[in-house]
Amino acid sequence: MNFMRGIQAALFSCAALGALTAVASAEDAANWGSFPGYTLKVKLIGGTQYEKLYTRIPEWEKATGAKVEIVSSKNHFELDREIKQDIASGSITWCVGSNHTSFAPQYGDIYVDLKTLIPQATLDEFVPGTLASSMVGGRLVQLPRVTDVSNLYYLKDLYENADNKAKYKAKFGTELAPPVTYDELKQQVIFFSNPPNLYGTAFAGKDEGMTGRFMEIVRANGGDMFDENWKPIFNSKAGVDALQWFIDIYNAKAVPAGTVNYTWDDIGQAFAAGTLAVDLDWPGFAAFYNDPAKSKVAGKVGFALSPLGTAGKRGGWSGSHSFSVTEACDNKPAAASLITFLTDYDSEMLEARAGNLPTRTKAFADVVEEFKKSDTPYMAEMFAVWEKSLADARTPPLVPQWIEVSNVIWPELQAAIVGQKTAQEALDTAAKKATQIMEDAGVLQ
Amino acid sequence: MRFFRSRLSPPILLLMPAFVIIALVVAVPLLFSLYTSFTGYRLVQPASLWQWVGLRNYQRLLTDVDFWWAFGRTVLFLTVALNLELVLGLGIALLIDKLTAGQRVIRTIMMFPMMFSPILVGFQFKYIFNDNVGLVNNAIQSLGWENVTIPWLVNPITANLAILMAEVWMSTPIFAILLLAGLMAMPRDPIEAAKVDGCNPWQVFRHITLPYLMPFVYIAMAIRSLDVARAYDMVKIMTNGGPAGRTELLWTLIARTGYQDARMGMANAMSYASILLSVYFTVYFFRKLAAARRTMGGVE
Repeated sequence: MNFMRGIQAALFSCAALGALTAVASAEDAANWGSFPGYTLKVKLIGGTQYEKLYTRIPEWEKATGAKVEIVSSKNHFELDREIKQDIASGSITWCVGSNHTSFAPQYGDIYVDLKTLIPQATLDEFVPGTLASSMVGGRLVQLPRVTDVSNLYYLKDLYENADNKAKYKAKFGTELAPPVTYDELKQQVIFFSNPPNLYGTAFAGKDEGMTGRFMEIVRANGGDMFDENWKPIFNSKAGVDALQWFIDIYNAKAVPAGTVNYTWDDIGQAFAAGTLAVDLDWPGFAAFYNDPAKSKVAGKVGFALSPLGTAGKRGGWSGSHSFSVTEACDNKPAAASLITFLTDYDSEMLEARAGNLPTRTKAFADVVEEFKKSDTPYMAEMFAVWEKSLADARTPPLVPQWIEVSNVIWPELQAAIVGQKTAQEALDTAAKKATQIMEDAGVLQ
Repeated sequence: MRFFRSRLSPPILLLMPAFVIIALVVAVPLLFSLYTSFTGYRLVQPASLWQWVGLRNYQRLLTDVDFWWAFGRTVLFLTVALNLELVLGLGIALLIDKLTAGQRVIRTIMMFPMMFSPILVGFQFKYIFNDNVGLVNNAIQSLGWENVTIPWLVNPITANLAILMAEVWMSTPIFAILLLAGLMAMPRDPIEAAKVDGCNPWQVFRHITLPYLMPFVYIAMAIRSLDVARAYDMVKIMTNGGPAGRTELLWTLIARTGYQDARMGMANAMSYASILLSVYFTVYFFRKLAAARRTMGGVE
């Protein structure tokens, strides 16, 4: 009897599962449209941390009957170069491209306004600030995939060490705790630094990384990069103070001297090797730092909000990786369907579980719950800190000349940091070059 | 047909396809890029291709201190790199030529650095010279100087030396292979005759081997002087021309201007100014080659 019941139950389960699958398929087909036999050409950012999402593409292909052909998969700087070449040669033959809020303003009008393709109800599910940062000239040219904003990682054992606490209190008269302001951060990185075994911190010292970190402190100090007429104003007092902050920690040997050549990977490796006390960095490093197979500091990392500047504000340099649809695309509904699919709730949960900041409001709350339930308080704590900082997140100036301006700023910042120029001289030179760029572009009269 | 028959001789007709192909592949792009150097062409604004700015790009270049520093640094880099590679390559070729057993294995091993992509070489040397977790500083600290941390890629001299070392490591085998080919093709009789006449090894090398090798040296130099721009990838990865432009070479500056800043008109103007450099090196080495061949004729 029991045996028969078992068989009945098994048959019922199979039938129910089949019915559910059929419903799911029908729902998918309804959600994502039907494009049988169509081949959608896409250019996507490559790299381990980005490609996991692409494992979902076969699901979309199955639901819509379309095929996705990845015609290019490169790191973002190479992809940017390739897209510029496509624009120059008038050969945009692809439909979907990876994009980034820092790069998007450069590409003119090659991408469609997604508000015309994606229902408002879907757009309402995104984090409002993140979606607002994805607009260029009032057009939604990209659908954000993950957001980046930096906060502090620090080595907990250094802050909990009784000897360190006593010495710090004796020297500065305050308790040793994760820094709240940039002045405190400077004080602490100099305090902890004991080269060559331990440095206070390191910063990205070249390319947009250097300009971005500088911009962050300028804004935290109450300044900005441009005024409302796009006149460069970063050589103001707020700018000079920001650059002086870098110069001071460099001269105090609180950062490795080579930091002026470092990019994100170098800093990540150094912190994971246990040679940095504090690291102002992106959320994508959290999982890496806590992986005992790759990091010597696993289990010892704490989080704190990024510091406040002299104006009592956070700089919140932020940007989002995103997807865009080209104006030249011959099947824009299919392209819009794919990018909506790649940023839907399930995709965003996939990104969030890997430690990236999702762009859908619901995914943010759900992933924290999931981390708490799965006994990974480290990641839950990280998400809680990062979510708080999103309120202060700001993109770089959304103007096509930003990367070009950045490229005249960072060599001058380096010149001041390594002692070739004073902070004011370096910033005045950079501002002069930036002014010429904005004038040539006709943005500044 | 009658037109061709009456006006053009058969040799010209037969060469015509080659002329057309070369014109399409080389001359047209060259002329096009020359034209763009007189425009405000921006890669992301195709319409700017017709924005004629006359000599503005060249005028700006003349007063652009960063460009001339990069120009001078590139000349110095080329001169030092080529000479170092020549001396080391010649030494390696002479040593390998003396081998009686295992020469093929050594030749193959010697070519390993040529098999690496310059980008990988860049990453490798960036790691080696990293001041915090790099091999060189760790080795120095392990040898007892525990507090010594040399910022190899920051100091203007050591940063350029590090890049030079990466370039020399990657490209010396090219010299060695070309010179080894010269040595292996060399007739042994004059050397034997010189030895019989009582010449010491240095005299044999100075007056017989070296003059015989000089055409190979100049061919290698001419090829490498053009090819050394491959170092772009390495510099891009190791320092990207920094810090503060201390390792900026023409290639990093031009690539950044053309592709990142999208100012292709200006980048092409820079390229035409720097083509002078390539033309100078090529003409110089070809003249030397012709002279060396005349000398060789005298020797023979």
